[in-house]
Amino acid sequence: MTINRDRLMDVLDKAHRGPVIKQFDWDTRVIPGVIAAKLKEYGLQKTCDPANPINQDLELADRFYRAAVDVATEVGMLCTDTQRAIRYSQAELLAGVDAAPAAFTLGEGREIAHFVHRAISDPTPPIWVSPLSIAVSEEVFEPLVTGIAAIPEVDCLEGPSFETIWGAPLRAGSPYELLAGKMQAEAFYGAIARAGREGIGLYAVGTSPTHYGVLGGFGIPGGYKPQRDIVLVLSPVEIKTSYENLMKLAHAYNCGGQTYGGSWSMIGGYAGGPEGAALSCIACTIMLYNVYQCVNGASFPYDLKTMGNCGRPALWSLGVVFQALSRNTHLCANSVLNQTAGPATECLLYESAVGMMLLSVCGASSCTGPRSAGGKYTNYITPLEVKFAGEVFKRCAGMSLAQANEIANRLLPKYEQQLGNPPKGQSFQECYDLATLQPSDEWQRIYDTVKDAAIAAGMPLH
Amino acid sequence: MDKQELLTQLYDSILDTEPEAAAAAAQAAIDAGVDAMEAIEVASEAIAEIGDMFEAGEIFLPSLMLAGEAMKQSMAILSRHLHSGQATQTKAKVVIGAVSGDIHDIGKNLVATMLSVHGYDVIDVGVNVPPMEVIDVALREKARFIALSALMTTSMPYQQDVLNLLTETGARNRFFVIVGGGPVTSDYARRIGADGWGNSAVSAVRLCDRLLQSQETPPVSATFVQE
Repeated sequence: MTINRDRLMDVLDKAHRGPVIKQFDWDTRVIPGVIAAKLKEYGLQKTCDPANPINQDLELADRFYRAAVDVATEVGMLCTDTQRAIRYSQAELLAGVDAAPAAFTLGEGREIAHFVHRAISDPTPPIWVSPLSIAVSEEVFEPLVTGIAAIPEVDCLEGPSFETIWGAPLRAGSPYELLAGKMQAEAFYGAIARAGREGIGLYAVGTSPTHYGVLGGFGIPGGYKPQRDIVLVLSPVEIKTSYENLMKLAHAYNCGGQTYGGSWSMIGGYAGGPEGAALSCIACTIMLYNVYQCVNGASFPYDLKTMGNCGRPALWSLGVVFQALSRNTHLCANSVLNQTAGPATECLLYESAVGMMLLSVCGASSCTGPRSAGGKYTNYITPLEVKFAGEVFKRCAGMSLAQANEIANRLLPKYEQQLGNPPKGQSFQECYDLATLQPSDEWQRIYDTVKDAAIAAGMPLH
Repeated sequence: MDKQELLTQLYDSILDTEPEAAAAAAQAAIDAGVDAMEAIEVASEAIAEIGDMFEAGEIFLPSLMLAGEAMKQSMAILSRHLHSGQATQTKAKVVIGAVSGDIHDIGKNLVATMLSVHGYDVIDVGVNVPPMEVIDVALREKARFIALSALMTTSMPYQQDVLNLLTETGARNRFFVIVGGGPVTSDYARRIGADGWGNSAVSAVRLCDRLLQSQETPPVSATFVQE
């Protein structure tokens, strides 16, 4: 779906003529005030049930959606550069959501990935976009991407991202970032060719914290290709945009490209607890599809306490968000799964098992991850956890919510106590042979152990 | 309204996270002849309770920020009426910001407010702030700390830039420089020569307290690490 110019110009106009709201007021009064009021009005307060981490009450998810439409209508999205709110009428917002496609493709040739809207417990396998933009060193990038691209469960690639560019620190918003945009595209195309998956779709540009990486890497000679790749537009919390985001959108329009719109809400942050975060995420998703005209994406919750979304409150909140979007829209909604433990640990795989299963059964069209070790450490990402997460995501398609909830409750005790202080694990170089791209015996044994435990808990991973 | 009622009003307005009401209560207390230091002590008790409530998960970030603003506005009034010889309880001045290229503000806001709640005079320079601008504000404000947040690996080099600029301009010994943020590890803090590193808003408060209580002057001999 190409970006409509009239809608783009309307967004820019609203960003410069919408109501003035100072960011401090937005964060401390507008967002928490409207969220609290709608939680109360729709009877959503204290509905989080940690004993049932995968919500079983679909009428509740529908109420969350209706409340979120109200939230999106009342607050809109704040442009931080102009301190003005981009607002639509409720009819316009819903029309904007309806205008988003129920299916689209990325990639080319035999690697085309077909994204489709998914229902709750949909047997259609979802799309696995992997990994997140975790920083890696330049010498690790090529073997790592080659190893990940060779995994059949991987449908598209987003990360990793470079820590340095030709030996120099990669600085956000600087000429280094502009150079890194093209450098990363070239490195990806080289690695996927070596993996025999030349046509795989790419999310651009992982190494682009500001707009410069996208300007330098997307739609230019040798860069990411608009006809098969997609521009990432990641909005700051809470339900905000910025010139940086809008420039990515404008650049995607200039190149005839498609956009992915993403954001998140912190449990314990501006929107409050797990219910507030869920409501904020759904409202934000409605705004993302209107403001960025994206074909894929969503806002997802995670927990300020654990900096992940694989603990009970965050899982519950995450499930409600995707249930609500699945049942009330035809969007190709994408989540991000934020694990906290590092490679070569059981904890990381258990986090993935429960989180990916939840997203698969709750109607996510696609997921981007993993965020091994919380994305905190350079080179802490390996192909094996990518493979495991993809296996779970695809093979749990079609499972009932009740069955998934039972499995989640069997697996959560195996890792939830570690979430506050997750094990760091090992780097790619420590637990992989970079020449053969095979995991160490120890890491393979951990994978086998957790997979057996997941199967014993009822997960269809045979 | 008697003195106790005025002080209760001040206390409640901070606990209720109402900046304008807190400012009005502070002014009313002064107008009624309440000793400014006594009012500051009451306001400090309220903000300490807010901090405890946040740490216990009873309130969320917006309430913490509003209570911090309520404290700030009431202090602006009360501190003007201190008698000579009276000093506020402020531990030290902190200039805090997210460095260039980084527009993420939750972590920075959380640390800023928790430091404020625990007696630090915090000047928040915002997000996406160039290194020299952070230093200029710290010099102008005669700060004791520079606190630098980075949520992305691509912003972390700017933390090092601040330290390099301080050294190269001869100002390194003026400030304790502490760093934090998602990908910022204690190893990284050591590597760039920061004075301290913390992994949460609560640890940031303890970190600043420890640095102040230490006998060291910046740059410290070994990076203080607080988890």
